[in-house]
Amino acid sequence: MRLVAVAAAVALFAAAAPALASDRHPTQGELERELVCPTCHTTLDESDAPIARQMKAEIRRRIAQGATKSQIEQELVDEFGPSVLGVPRKHGFDLLAWALPLGGVGVAAAGLAFGAWRWSRARDVGDTVSQAPSAAPLDPELDRRVDEELARFDA
Amino acid sequence: MRLLRLLAVAVVVALLGLLVWDMAQADGSKVAKKVDQGQVVAAPKLVLPYHDRDGSFDLAAQRGKVVVVNFWASWCQGCKKEAGALNAAARYWRDKGVVFLGVDVNDFRSAASRFVDRHDVAYTIVRDGPGSTLGKWGVTGLPETFFVDRKGRVVPPHVLAAATREQLDEGIRRARRS
Repeated sequence: MRLVAVAAAVALFAAAAPALASDRHPTQGELERELVCPTCHTTLDESDAPIARQMKAEIRRRIAQGATKSQIEQELVDEFGPSVLGVPRKHGFDLLAWALPLGGVGVAAAGLAFGAWRWSRARDVGDTVSQAPSAAPLDPELDRRVDEELARFDA
Repeated sequence: MRLLRLLAVAVVVALLGLLVWDMAQADGSKVAKKVDQGQVVAAPKLVLPYHDRDGSFDLAAQRGKVVVVNFWASWCQGCKKEAGALNAAARYWRDKGVVFLGVDVNDFRSAASRFVDRHDVAYTIVRDGPGSTLGKWGVTGLPETFFVDRKGRVVPPHVLAAATREQLDEGIRRARRS
């Protein structure tokens, strides 16, 4: 149990470390890929619009000053609104943008599972019903007539 | 099972509502189109923070005055070209019941401040960093200028490029007559 906890902690650290490093020492390229030009609505790395050029210069200046990725993003959000973020943030109201699709997939999966369960249950019941007559004993009179018919057929 | 059906119907209704809301938002683009066709239309809501001080400018509070609404940004070449004409017109019409409003869109605040200082802008500037008003007014490029009459209606003409002094005076006169 202790081994599992240690492994989980190591895995968490391994996943979080690059993100923390990226936040403390962002690169021009990653910010340009993740931020959107407010006039042409493409990412900065694909835009040559005047405001995109100004934003790139501002990012370069702030990186040189040692600003973190989240600081730079927040400053640009303050200037141009949250639509400059290529991907929504994972806290506050923006979390809905992540939660709703995932929730939708979860609900759809649950619906599919429920449907499959109902379908397989209905099939089992159907099989039981269809097997029931053959398992039940035949009426003696009917049994006698079947024997007679078979004997006549054999003759 | 009935609950699932109700849920599905609710989701479809919500999506339809979202679609209608989105179309209603986009409907604002008809303001510029209608004005270009010679029509007079109610001015879209415009409440934005001042560029250089606390508080907000509300276009609706300007009823009884003609308002010249100019959309601009410091990086726009046409905006630099028309700055002189706008300033001269703003100074001339200032005491005649005409308000000039510059809506700075998709711009850095610091760059806008430099523009305002360099061109000695003599009228009110408000900030719309995200450009949220552009769709409502139907602005497709910068600069663009609209004229709002005393009743709060946008009247022709709608200037789609750097405005000249003559265009500004003509627009103001038509708005005053409206």
